[in-house]
Amino acid sequence: MALPSFAHGLARYALVAALAAVFALFAALAPGFLSGANLLSVLVNNFALLAIVAIAMTFAVSAGGIDLSVGTAVDFSSFAFVSLVLAGQPVALAALGGLAGGALVGLFNAVLIAGIGISPFLATLGTLFVGRSVQQLLTNGGNPVYLPPAGVPEAFRFLGHGALAGIPVPLIVTALVVAGAWVVLARTRFGRVALATGIQASVVRYSGLRLPRITAATYVLVSTIAAVVGLILTSTVTVYIPSSGNAFLLNAIGATFIGTTFDPHGRPNVPGTVLGVLLLGVVANGLLLSGLNFYWQQVGTGLLIFSVLAIGFANRKAAGRV
Amino acid sequence: MADTAKSGEAIIRLENIVKRFGGAEALSGASLTVRRGSVHGLVGQNGAGKSTLIKLIAGLHRADEGTVEIDGKAYDRLTPHLVEELGVHFIHQDRLLVPTFTVGEALFLGRELRFPGTPFLDRAGMRRKSAEILERYFGLSLPHSALIAELSAAEKQIVQITRALIANPKVLVFDEPTAALVRREADLLFQLIRRLSAEGVTVLYISHYLGEIVDLCDTVTVLRNGRDVATLPVAETSAADIGALMVNRAIGELYPKPDVTPGEVVLDVENLALAGRFEAVSFRLRKGEVLGLTGLVGSGAKEVVRSLFGLDRPTGGTVRIKGETVFSADPAAATRRRLALVPEDRRRDGVALDLTVTENTTLASLDRFSRGIIDRSAERRQTENLVKRLEIKTDGVDALVKTLSGGNQQKVAIAKWLSRQSEIYLLDEPTVGVDIAAKVEIYRLIGELAERGAAVLVLSSDIEELLGVTDRILVFFRGSVTREFPSSETSPGEILADVTGAHETLRHAG
Repeated sequence: MALPSFAHGLARYALVAALAAVFALFAALAPGFLSGANLLSVLVNNFALLAIVAIAMTFAVSAGGIDLSVGTAVDFSSFAFVSLVLAGQPVALAALGGLAGGALVGLFNAVLIAGIGISPFLATLGTLFVGRSVQQLLTNGGNPVYLPPAGVPEAFRFLGHGALAGIPVPLIVTALVVAGAWVVLARTRFGRVALATGIQASVVRYSGLRLPRITAATYVLVSTIAAVVGLILTSTVTVYIPSSGNAFLLNAIGATFIGTTFDPHGRPNVPGTVLGVLLLGVVANGLLLSGLNFYWQQVGTGLLIFSVLAIGFANRKAAGRV
Repeated sequence: MADTAKSGEAIIRLENIVKRFGGAEALSGASLTVRRGSVHGLVGQNGAGKSTLIKLIAGLHRADEGTVEIDGKAYDRLTPHLVEELGVHFIHQDRLLVPTFTVGEALFLGRELRFPGTPFLDRAGMRRKSAEILERYFGLSLPHSALIAELSAAEKQIVQITRALIANPKVLVFDEPTAALVRREADLLFQLIRRLSAEGVTVLYISHYLGEIVDLCDTVTVLRNGRDVATLPVAETSAADIGALMVNRAIGELYPKPDVTPGEVVLDVENLALAGRFEAVSFRLRKGEVLGLTGLVGSGAKEVVRSLFGLDRPTGGTVRIKGETVFSADPAAATRRRLALVPEDRRRDGVALDLTVTENTTLASLDRFSRGIIDRSAERRQTENLVKRLEIKTDGVDALVKTLSGGNQQKVAIAKWLSRQSEIYLLDEPTVGVDIAAKVEIYRLIGELAERGAAVLVLSSDIEELLGVTDRILVFFRGSVTREFPSSETSPGEILADVTGAHETLRHAG
């Protein structure tokens, strides 16, 4: 049985190779791509926030679902955070409020999916629409909520602009989320059971595990992770812009599925998702620096997703794993 | 309706039919002769070849060897359409009526009446004709425009029969027609069949219920292992004899059953009921005991097992596990009380095909291997031990379960509960779809469980298997336990007679 491990190597190689290839390509073609400042900007601007949302998505996909409302959780977190700071609450408390705001979105999804039994795709699509309307109602039809520059506490700016030992805080937070998520998904009972739910839910039920509880926990976790992004984003730009979180949605889904090629069995996994986000980030930044028309960036991203998925799929098929 | 002039001649004749699927022979030289005007019964255990034989007549399969004659003429290439043109029609429980069609559309689908010489449908004519048949044979009217989906099982069957009658059938083939009917509806069906027979229609009647066969048919053919082992006039035989013919196989050394003295009662079921499914079910299961349950689909046996594991909520009665009354219908609570279920649909409910052997084995017992973080080397060791103990053939504990054979997948499904240290095992059709060698290993495992003090309940429709591995057997019929047999002093035929309701017939007759 040498073929599967060989093909598995190839499938994993596809993602790493694609990353190395685009990196080399832009190093050669895009002026300034290799500069330290640019690479740091890739990490902070193109990687950190998307990585957190994509990891949230990885949990949903792992459990056999999807969460189209991750952006809604980002927005609700951002709105709650800004509102509480404006109301004069301590920043730490306001941040907790932000996380709770995001978690609320997950709770709503949990009721729809685990309680009523609506499919995750439709349930979270509904939440996406409802969330957008709620935000418009809360903001007089979608007006941004600014924090007056004078009134912003220093602690508030720290999440987005601070640094520890020279490392930007957003990157540190992302690293913590990545490490935590990796442990939870790959090494804990919850992660294992969520994975089993995604692979064959009825076996989970027939094994005496409480399926609705696991599903509900998954969607609350997804939204809570996404809510972290709401905090960082708000701290960075000191404004809440309604429905802005949805910008992460498609890239998060793309990165998660690109990441599945990194697993021998094609399962969603945290390291794969991180590599997927890096790949998308490098491509976006590189295309921008190459002076390519903005609209061509999307084409590049799409082609990239196709090719990585195709190679990964073909390899697993050759190994008889599909 | 059909002419009775040539009564007694063969209207359907199958000679030495051989039919293979891949390497397996479903039929190995089966013959069947149905005579004009008779009501001919066809019986056999699951896998005996009944459905293959019926599909051959229906033109859905083609024989590899042998001849098929209808009305004295041999056909090589029967198609479903041709068979209907020859006047042979099928009433099948599962045969699909399009649920979104109206009664009228379903009745005339494919042979709509038209105004002569035009493409226009004669709706009034169709309505008249179906109303006339419905009135004449069933004494009822079905709304022509009702949707099929709105009809009961019995009404759907009436639509099927009416559809066949519109075409003036010579032969009607009934394939397990009473499976979804209540007693009263079944009685009406029997009346109808007798009447059609009196009018000269030939009937081929396939049923698990031997009582029905004895009641209704004049001739019966018994299939076993792909061959017809007997064709008898019903007047000269009995349901028990027919049952004995169906299962006649040497039991031999298949069942390595250890001698265990049962211990204390661990599962005490009293008057358990689930409305519409089963009622007043009581039994006790002791440590070290292997109890068998058997019954036809819908007899309630499977539903009892589901209720015990908390998958369905009983509507009455009590269940005590080790003396403690159980209230919740919740598999999680059941497994905490050390109950284990190995479900019938192994590939859907028993094992996760895309998880590894290890991940499957420890799925129900992750608590044992994790305090927050899973101790992966401990779960691996545990799995390797169980793989060795159950002789699971796999490339390794990291292989996906879908790469294993059916028998080895089933062993993984059992290993999951051994890892959970379960004490009461509910095995639902544990050897369905596994080869004979794996079957014997599963039988050995059942014996080993009992020896180690587990209580085992085996639900199976394979009666020989039950007699071989259990201490006693409860027979379910139409929702209740009709009889208990000690396994060592009972013959398959006796049980089969009860399973199929032959005693019901005796009771009706006496």
